[in-house]
Amino acid sequence: MIGFCKHCQPGWIRLCTPHNLIFWVVIWLSACRHRAEMATVTLRWNGNRATGLSIPKNLLPPVAAGSPAHLPEIRLVGTGNQTAVLGQYRTAGEEVLFEPLVPFTRGLRYQVWVLGKRLDEIEIPALTPGDAPALLAVFPSQDSLPENLLKIYLRFSRPMREGQAQKYVGLLNNENDTVPGVFLDLQPELWNTDRTVLTLWLDPGRIKRDLQPNRLLGSPLQNGTRYRLVVSAAWPDEQGACLPKSYAKSFVTVPRDSLSPDPGQWRINQPQPGTGQPLEVDLGETLDYSLLRETLSILDEGGKIVSGEWQVMSEEKKCQFKPQAVWVPGTYELRIESRLEDLSGNNLNRPFERDVARKNVPATAIDFFERPFRLGTTGHVHPLP
Amino acid sequence: MKKLPLLLSIGIAGLLSLAASHRSTNQPEGFLTGTPEIKSINALAFGPDGILFIGDSKSAAVFAIDTKDAALVEKPTEVDIKNFDQQVAALLGTTVQNITIQDIAVNPRSKKVYCAVQHSDGTPVLLKIEGNKIEAVALKDIRYSTLTLNNVPSEEAKDKRGQSVRVAAISDIGYADGKVMVSGLSNQEFSATFRSIPFPFTNQQDQASLEIYHAAHGKYETQAPIKTFTTAEINGKKYLVASYTCTPLVLFPLDELKPGTHVKGRTVAEMGSGNSPLDIVTMKKGNESFLFMANSNRPVFKVKYQSIAAYQGALTSPVEENSATAGVDFVSLPVTNVIQLDKLDDTRMILLQRRTNGNLDLWTSNDRFL
Repeated sequence: MIGFCKHCQPGWIRLCTPHNLIFWVVIWLSACRHRAEMATVTLRWNGNRATGLSIPKNLLPPVAAGSPAHLPEIRLVGTGNQTAVLGQYRTAGEEVLFEPLVPFTRGLRYQVWVLGKRLDEIEIPALTPGDAPALLAVFPSQDSLPENLLKIYLRFSRPMREGQAQKYVGLLNNENDTVPGVFLDLQPELWNTDRTVLTLWLDPGRIKRDLQPNRLLGSPLQNGTRYRLVVSAAWPDEQGACLPKSYAKSFVTVPRDSLSPDPGQWRINQPQPGTGQPLEVDLGETLDYSLLRETLSILDEGGKIVSGEWQVMSEEKKCQFKPQAVWVPGTYELRIESRLEDLSGNNLNRPFERDVARKNVPATAIDFFERPFRLGTTGHVHPLP
Repeated sequence: MKKLPLLLSIGIAGLLSLAASHRSTNQPEGFLTGTPEIKSINALAFGPDGILFIGDSKSAAVFAIDTKDAALVEKPTEVDIKNFDQQVAALLGTTVQNITIQDIAVNPRSKKVYCAVQHSDGTPVLLKIEGNKIEAVALKDIRYSTLTLNNVPSEEAKDKRGQSVRVAAISDIGYADGKVMVSGLSNQEFSATFRSIPFPFTNQQDQASLEIYHAAHGKYETQAPIKTFTTAEINGKKYLVASYTCTPLVLFPLDELKPGTHVKGRTVAEMGSGNSPLDIVTMKKGNESFLFMANSNRPVFKVKYQSIAAYQGALTSPVEENSATAGVDFVSLPVTNVIQLDKLDDTRMILLQRRTNGNLDLWTSNDRFL
């Protein structure tokens, strides 16, 4: 550099200075412009759902001052048509926000068009294996079930896609043959609010004795038969991620259950007063998992519900109540809503099928049954008459 | 002089009260303007003057929304949309496996078809179809009224996240004679809930549900959840015509549907097993009326109301009528895999059908089926 400067005339250097300045200003302006061009369409997320697109206004064709911006169209790539995705537009600062009616789909690509010109293309990242749902449990959980079993519950770790059960759940018999028409094709399917628990009904038309379907085809399940409930790994969750593997539950059928559960026969254990020991209720038979979680409560002497947590255990043959506070000696009441059912739809008020010829059925149904008990100072449960 | 301000204020108060009463005559009772919190759309039915009833199982509520689509159209453009599901999916920016068509309902005034769609993540969408044009129905800043069904579980019946495990899924909604009828299925107990609620909604609704029983052959009696229903006049009397989840077709006189009662439907037909009824409509040609029923695993059934009327006259005991002949004769139409059905006018129906080539088409039937 020093050598180069030695060869330069001072006047020539003075002449170069404005040119240098112009050069650097041009470079800076160009960089700024380039930076402006770098602004691209970006995704807006709500949790793990892509719920919007942010489009910088400077990407859109200029409009006269005060005029509204030309709104872009969002199109799904690969559908072969030029349908604009339905959604809402709003302007926020230097951006136009597009919110589709439903979130963008993972793994799909979308294009942004304005005035017949493609502005940009964006891909919604696909799901990772860690996003896969899991089948956590199948109820009833025991492996011998009555031939007039009415319901099966599937509990998943994540919200699942509805309306798919007929495709992904099947029942195989001893010979590994699929048993057709076992589950009722019910639309809409019976999911809980967050779509993690599905209730499947075995065809009630075939369970109800003497109906045409029952006469022609018999019960969905036959006594003394081994079955395998199979849930396919292809079942997608709400985002499209599938179960990591298929699932099978084997069971054998035992004779039909036509009797209502009898809370009078239940056994209640002896938690110590002054402790937070759980109260255990031995039901003597497997009852409906979902109903057990909601139909039991403990009331104190004043008729107030004792705070605590119920747990269903031992293949739905036992329930455990953990009080929030320690037990106080006194009289309590185990209250059971009469809608509690066993595995065959028999509830506390009536069996699933009432034989109209029999007259020993109570004429009026009651809302709940009560099992009073006393926790004495000795810590023993004293059943009351 | 002191009387002047008093008179003025009385006059102003009078004018204000007149204005208020004038406004209330234009707005049905209980309606307000805003954005209803609709969490799911399971069933649709139209009421009077373009009012659309939306059955929302997740909210355990019925929303009545004013579609402002009440202009009478006598001769509507016929709907014929091939690959309806693909077109809807493209409009929603996704693929067909990510959407479920929940229900369709034809506005009896404008004859436009309203369609409820659910995205795989549970987001509900309401669409409107006129001719071959599909557009979204805005659910923001609209006039609406809500009725919360009083089966919401108690606090104790909620899980650790405060959500109820129990859902009373709304299986169908209908409107007749100033009443909204709602049938529900429980995801827990095998029971039937059916409500008949006067409209416009008020805060003091008697919502006690009916207990609906199914008597089979005089031997057994079971609870019977209603899957779908319609109303019809048979021999000059109004009936609820319902189908249970186990497919029989049953009749209830509308005037006997009193809250809190134990009602037995009169079974008039059994229509096969492994099948769930999807939609029932009543059609008319000349003096004859017909019942059409779409099914999950059967073709569309057609029953003459005349046959039902005759059947009723021939039998006296409700429990004896279910013989091996399975009741009233019905005809299976050469139309299979119809998953949605509604009435466009007396002689034409809107059908959403899975064709033999696999396409799901929305089309309008002519009167050849009648």
